[in-house]
Amino acid sequence: MSDLEAWRAKAATWCEAMVPTFGKAARKGLGVEDDLALGRRYQKAKFDAGFAGINWPTDLGGQGLGHIEKITFEAEEMKHGFPSFYFSISLGMPVPVLMQFGPDREFVKERVLKALQGEEIWCQLFSEPSGGTDLAGLRTRAETDGNGWKINGQKVWTSWAQYSDYGVIVVRTDPTVAKHKGLTYFWVDMKAPGVTVRPIKLAGGDSHVNEVFFDDVKIGDDHRMSPVGGGFAVAIATLMIERYVATDSAGFGPHLGLFIDLAKEVQLNGRPAIEDGRIRQQIARNYAMRAGLDSINVRARRMMEAGMTPGAEGSLNKLVAVRSRQKLSELAIDLQGVGGFAFDEHASPKDDWASSWINAPTGRIAGGSDETLLNTIAERILGLPQDHRPDKGIPFNQIPA
Amino acid sequence: MSILYDEGQQAIATESRRALEARVSKDDLLPLLQTQGEYHQAFWSTAKEQGWTALALPEAHGGLALGLVELGLIAHQAGRTLSGAPFLTSSFGAAKAIELYGTDEQKAHWLPGLASGDTIGAIAFASGADPLPAKPAVTLTGDRLNGVAGAVSGGLFADVAVVFASGPALALVDLTSAGRTAVDSFDNSRCIADLSFADTPAETLATGEAARAAALHILALQAVVTAHEQTGGAEALMEIARDYAVTRKAFGQPIGAFQSIKHRIAELYGLVELARANCIHAASREGAGDFITAAAAARLSATEAYDTAARDCVQIHGGIGVTWEIGLHLHMRRARSLALEQGSSFFWEDVLVDRLAGDEG
Ligand SMILES: Cc1cc2nc3c(=O)[nH]c(=O)nc-3n(C[C@H](O)[C@H](O)[C@H](O)COP(=O)(O)OP(=O)(O)OC[C@H]3O[C@@H](n4cnc5c(N)ncnc54)[C@H](O)[C@@H]3O)c2cc1C
Repeated sequence: MSDLEAWRAKAATWCEAMVPTFGKAARKGLGVEDDLALGRRYQKAKFDAGFAGINWPTDLGGQGLGHIEKITFEAEEMKHGFPSFYFSISLGMPVPVLMQFGPDREFVKERVLKALQGEEIWCQLFSEPSGGTDLAGLRTRAETDGNGWKINGQKVWTSWAQYSDYGVIVVRTDPTVAKHKGLTYFWVDMKAPGVTVRPIKLAGGDSHVNEVFFDDVKIGDDHRMSPVGGGFAVAIATLMIERYVATDSAGFGPHLGLFIDLAKEVQLNGRPAIEDGRIRQQIARNYAMRAGLDSINVRARRMMEAGMTPGAEGSLNKLVAVRSRQKLSELAIDLQGVGGFAFDEHASPKDDWASSWINAPTGRIAGGSDETLLNTIAERILGLPQDHRPDKGIPFNQIPA
Repeated sequence: MSILYDEGQQAIATESRRALEARVSKDDLLPLLQTQGEYHQAFWSTAKEQGWTALALPEAHGGLALGLVELGLIAHQAGRTLSGAPFLTSSFGAAKAIELYGTDEQKAHWLPGLASGDTIGAIAFASGADPLPAKPAVTLTGDRLNGVAGAVSGGLFADVAVVFASGPALALVDLTSAGRTAVDSFDNSRCIADLSFADTPAETLATGEAARAAALHILALQAVVTAHEQTGGAEALMEIARDYAVTRKAFGQPIGAFQSIKHRIAELYGLVELARANCIHAASREGAGDFITAAAAARLSATEAYDTAARDCVQIHGGIGVTWEIGLHLHMRRARSLALEQGSSFFWEDVLVDRLAGDEG
């Protein structure tokens, strides 16, 4: 058995053992608060077992292993529906950025340890009502205030802000220069006076995203994580940090096998739907797409094992898989006829078609819309020109609103 | 499982690309369309010299004992340069049929010639719309073959054919005494012919359900080679489209700055990479229980990639895209001929879904 196989086996055994306490059945019927409390216990158990911060440095509480060990563990973990998603943003971007750019190392160490154990949660305050895709277009501002700063403005779509202890934030510190140049990157205490968090209920019924208001929120200059005016580079670094995130060719929706089972059960024109050419075509196309993504992912993993850097094709997963999940879910609802109306707000998008369908659009927007991803592929991979940007080079305060 | 190409395999890709780019030009290819009965000689002599015809055949019979992965890499490059003669795939399929189902005598008689490329093989399975028909148009009675195998790619030059005949049976026939009529096609470089048999002597490779299973297996092997060729064509078109989009200007900027153009090319990138991934996976599954499933997925995604790339690349070129001279229609034609050669998408969708649903016969 290779080291990696041994690691996988160890991860699988541990995950199996956690199922009675933290698995789907244990979580059934829990409200968000109780589920989050369970999630914190799960995160602590993960930490104690040596599965938290797998590829993070040991002096900050991580395991000092590689990315390959991390995704190997996550592939096992994903099979069980544990309450880990409360920490996905926190440990995904803000905390790694803090590790990289946090100015006060003692503070950093303390925060990282608490975050790894599920005691503290971080959020990412980038998007604003005036636009999320245009990251550099943000309007929330910070002005110097004694030897610190004072923040005013509004962020939106902030995942888990209502449960967060800290956040990373990009704000405008100079409106008189071109928009990318006037930004600065800070961390903020989400419990500080002047911070108001208001949950937004999403189409699927849950409220994990929020509006966050800043009214004269005072922070010290020691909260600054970039040079003044140099925040955009750190923001981009944040978005790049998890380049090879855990991938799922089902687009975090149901397995294709579930669709095939449904098509066998349901009748269409008096015959099992699995015999209908329209259904067969969708199944075949969907399979070919998912098999392609799976093969890309396996190859990426092998390259990492061999010490190579995987190719850019890994970036296709979210774009391709989530779109097709949305379409397949529509089709699954169609197949059930009026039986397809049934909806359970607490059902899992991994095995319930209505839940998969209603929640699919968030997957096509959060973390970059389809259009943004296509632009990235076109510009970064294929070398096509950037879009026409009339605001380029113009001082931010002279851009027509 | 999927694989990483090793150094030897990467060298095959680089070397075949170099050889093909040096020997193939659009100006050789265009005239092939206007006549029947010509194939791309420069390609075929290159294939023979470089040992591509011998690549995936056993050493005992003059082969190099490599496999689908290596042959796929070459087919990918052939697809990029549009140069492939149909024989690279169909001679390979015929040779595999003889290797897997033939007697020692048949192997000794046919395989060395197929390996050297001096003998050309063809596969004649289809009847009309059906790539693997329930009632084949050709019948095998005793050791005689009768009927017409329609539109066989490479049939105009083949020396030997493997025929799917009623019975069902898989038959091996020396084409010296068969009749042939050239079929005028939108892609004449495929050298398509109707093969007619009138009490033509033939030998049996397999009969009954075993014959059907054998034919599907051979078709799947060919489909994987073809899928590589299709992916290579799609990749070339994506690059041609990209290059044009950064140079051609309209409204004072490169057309590649318009998202409708830019996103189309980015979508092609997705289709090409999915097809490539499925090809690599399928080639690595030769001999495994899920080979047909993997082959079907490769075939479907490669057909979609090449057809879409052909449509979009022409569109992105505007008027110049539809001219004879620029030759994008060579890719359009090839995309369609390859889409038909090993069975259309309808066929592979059915094969795939039967397997996924656990209903394969
Ligand atoms: C569930 C969920 C969780 C999220 N969590 C967070 C979080 O934790 N922190 C955070 O900061 N943000 C978060 N976001 C915000 C997310 O990053 C943004 O919603 C996203 O980037 C899109 O921005 P927008 O909603 O402002 O849409 P807009 O930018 O207004 O875009 C509207 C439409 O215009 C298109 N568009 C915009 N620009 C272009 C262009 N150049 N070319 C072509 N089309 C364009 C978009 O693709 C989209 O279709 C979350 C969003 C969701 C849905």
